[in-house]
Amino acid sequence: MASKAGQVKKLSRRSFLKFVGGASLTGVTLSLAGCGEVATADSAAGGKGWMPAQYNAPGSWPTDVRGRVPIDPLNPSIVRDDQKCILCGQCLEVCEKVQSVFGNYELPIKNEFVCVNCGQCTQWCPSGAITERDETDKVFKALADPKVTVVVQTAPATRIGLGEEFGMPVGTNVQGKQVAALRKLGFDVIFDTNFTADLTIMEEGTELVKRVQGELKKPLPQLTSCCPGWVKFVEYFYPELIPNLSSAKSPMQMEGTLMKTYYAEMKKVDPQKIFSVAIMPCTAKKFECQRPEMVSAQKELKDKNVTPDVDVVLTTRELARMIKRAGIDFANLPDGQYDQLMGTGTGAGAIFGTTGGVMEAAARSAYYLVTGQQPPSALWDLTPVRGMQGVKDATINIPGIGNMKVAVISGLANARTVMDQIKAGNAPWDFIEVMACPGGCEYGGGQPRASAPPSDDVRNRRAASLYQIDANAKLRNSYDNPQIKEVYADFLTAPMSEKAEELLHTTYISRASEFTAKKSENM
Amino acid sequence: MSKGILVDIPKCIGCESCSVACKLWNELGWDPQEKNKTAEDRAKEPNKGLWPDEWTSINRYDVKKNGSPVGRYVKTQCLHCVDPACASACFSKALKKLPEGPVVYDQKLCVGCRYCMMACPFDILRYEWKKAIPGVSKCQMCPSRVTNNQETACTSVCPTGAITFGDRDQLLAEAKKRIKDNGYVDRVFGEKEAGGTSWLYISDVPFEQLRFRTDVTTKSLPSYTEGYMKLTPFVGGTWAAVLAGLYIYNNKNKEPLE
Ligand code: SF4
Ligand code: SF4
Ligand code: SF4
Ligand code: SF4
Repeated sequence: MASKAGQVKKLSRRSFLKFVGGASLTGVTLSLAGCGEVATADSAAGGKGWMPAQYNAPGSWPTDVRGRVPIDPLNPSIVRDDQKCILCGQCLEVCEKVQSVFGNYELPIKNEFVCVNCGQCTQWCPSGAITERDETDKVFKALADPKVTVVVQTAPATRIGLGEEFGMPVGTNVQGKQVAALRKLGFDVIFDTNFTADLTIMEEGTELVKRVQGELKKPLPQLTSCCPGWVKFVEYFYPELIPNLSSAKSPMQMEGTLMKTYYAEMKKVDPQKIFSVAIMPCTAKKFECQRPEMVSAQKELKDKNVTPDVDVVLTTRELARMIKRAGIDFANLPDGQYDQLMGTGTGAGAIFGTTGGVMEAAARSAYYLVTGQQPPSALWDLTPVRGMQGVKDATINIPGIGNMKVAVISGLANARTVMDQIKAGNAPWDFIEVMACPGGCEYGGGQPRASAPPSDDVRNRRAASLYQIDANAKLRNSYDNPQIKEVYADFLTAPMSEKAEELLHTTYISRASEFTAKKSENM
Repeated sequence: MSKGILVDIPKCIGCESCSVACKLWNELGWDPQEKNKTAEDRAKEPNKGLWPDEWTSINRYDVKKNGSPVGRYVKTQCLHCVDPACASACFSKALKKLPEGPVVYDQKLCVGCRYCMMACPFDILRYEWKKAIPGVSKCQMCPSRVTNNQETACTSVCPTGAITFGDRDQLLAEAKKRIKDNGYVDRVFGEKEAGGTSWLYISDVPFEQLRFRTDVTTKSLPSYTEGYMKLTPFVGGTWAAVLAGLYIYNNKNKEPLE
């Protein structure tokens, strides 16, 4: 017998006899009374509810869309509230068709739910059943602890999304208000991930030049590594292309590492007492910061009490929730300023937030790194890699290297097609930028849900805002960033120096054994 | 034609679309306590996560296959016996096997004796302790859909084909084919168990490891009681004793519930 309290008691012989003694008489009396009725299909319990139309077809008609994606209860990035799910199948649609994750593995599954944590399903789910895993409480707790220095960084794309949560037009740049809100919430130090976007360009650009010139014995094309959803996709489906991934960490992880090493050393703060928060447009970043590789500060300082480089990642939506919970009048905040040391980014760093941005930023720097000169005007406005097409390509002429063929991809189904081409040996490119989310981080899995499913209209407006930041910037080239010069001079020596390798570069693992990949149809 | 459902355990990915469909179609409530349970939690519960508002539940078992750890999901619900013990235990005919397959329950006819709960060899039925007029609850196999040429709610939403609706005979043949083709365990659970059930299960890991009642008799359970059924008016007391015997029989090999 089961009782609802979650306690299950075994029926004792005594209570059993007691209840059959009493109930049998009722039963016998009733059946004697000759109620001739029996249960029928129509009088049966249940069956009065609702199901989406596609499931009510007669027979076992094959419906196009069935069910929903499986989500591991331990998924670090996304959670689902079953009570809100209407089985519309949109999550499955985006995961399978746009991201080519669901359905790209054989059954039976082994142990793991194959998921790259991109969070596009949170954007497509019409009822809000799938959301990011909320970690605001952890941050509120750290903020309330006077012994902890809470250091925060904000990604390039959050500043052009956050305002939408407060009723501002799509793409409004609220960089200053975002900083001011973070101060009001009690963050001790506020840095800009645009700074480490510039740093990523220095490291990744140097790596690219070394690969192209043959100094580094690693294969071409070099693949970008700043998107953790994309990186996990390679680790699952294309482990043989892991050597093609740039070893440079993502800007967020670089910033986190430097908070607990560079900043701690320069400002004499105990790294054990630093709580590092990252405001990101992305749910995959929640997964990334928990990767076992991402404890460089702990390793460098040989101190087990230093926590991971990034302690908590909050999405743009979670930050908006914190601001609302604290009752801050966001719209009327005067602009705040980032803290210095790691608070200045160039226009090149800003456009990391959209598809094609990393490529454009890298092209400017690669030109400089090879020639020692400012790039020509075409590289300040690299139109072939702008826009919302899933696969774009361009040729960049760099004296001393010649023509470099580059490609820009967003959306993982698009990436799958190109990766198959690489595997088949007919990919002409030297450098490929990939972002998991269609349009790039500006419509990442953690951004405000301006339209569900996401639309190119919103994507274009957000991207335009990022390009505007770049166009207006005094400095538009990563190597011109004075704080980048400083960090190399005072701390890292040079791009890809021993110390830079240790702190700013990482390794990847094959996840091929976690599941059985489906043979690709494109091959 | 009697309908059935084939559960191909290795094909289940644990998405729980089916259990949500069941809630939507049958307007079952959401208990916050149940909602937060995982398939792993439910697998550890004595009643495998079946409650008055949970007519079906997905259970996850971590087992070994060829030496490496794998997770397997098992959809659990009423098996809809071909010759259901619950229905024959019910004096007031609140439970009935329809020719199309479903074993249905009509609360208006139920007197609350709970004999059915004791009779069920799979411990499926739940008593609605929280309700003012409690009845019992279990999966109905969507009779209003099935008798109207629609498949059950749960099978209609399954994205992988782990649960398939169809004619029981054809599904049985399909099950045997898949056992051969995929090298599954050579047993269709439900072909003969308790005299046969409308739901059929096939698996690539031993059923014992997935907490199936593999020791259940292959004889239909009502056959133990039918001699007494005819004498019902005279032997009310004895009837209780027979059911007590059946209850003890059904539970003798069950894991202790505490
Ligand atoms: S996060 Fe991305 S990969 Fe994971 S289930 Fe959602 S859409 Fe699929
Ligand atoms: S998109 Fe949302 S509502 Fe639709 S099936 Fe997926 S989780 Fe359910
Ligand atoms: S057959 Fe209907 S009642 Fe039974 S588990 Fe499926 S959806 Fe629920
Ligand atoms: S819908 Fe299908 S795959 Fe999903 S849990 Fe149910 S039986 Fe398994």
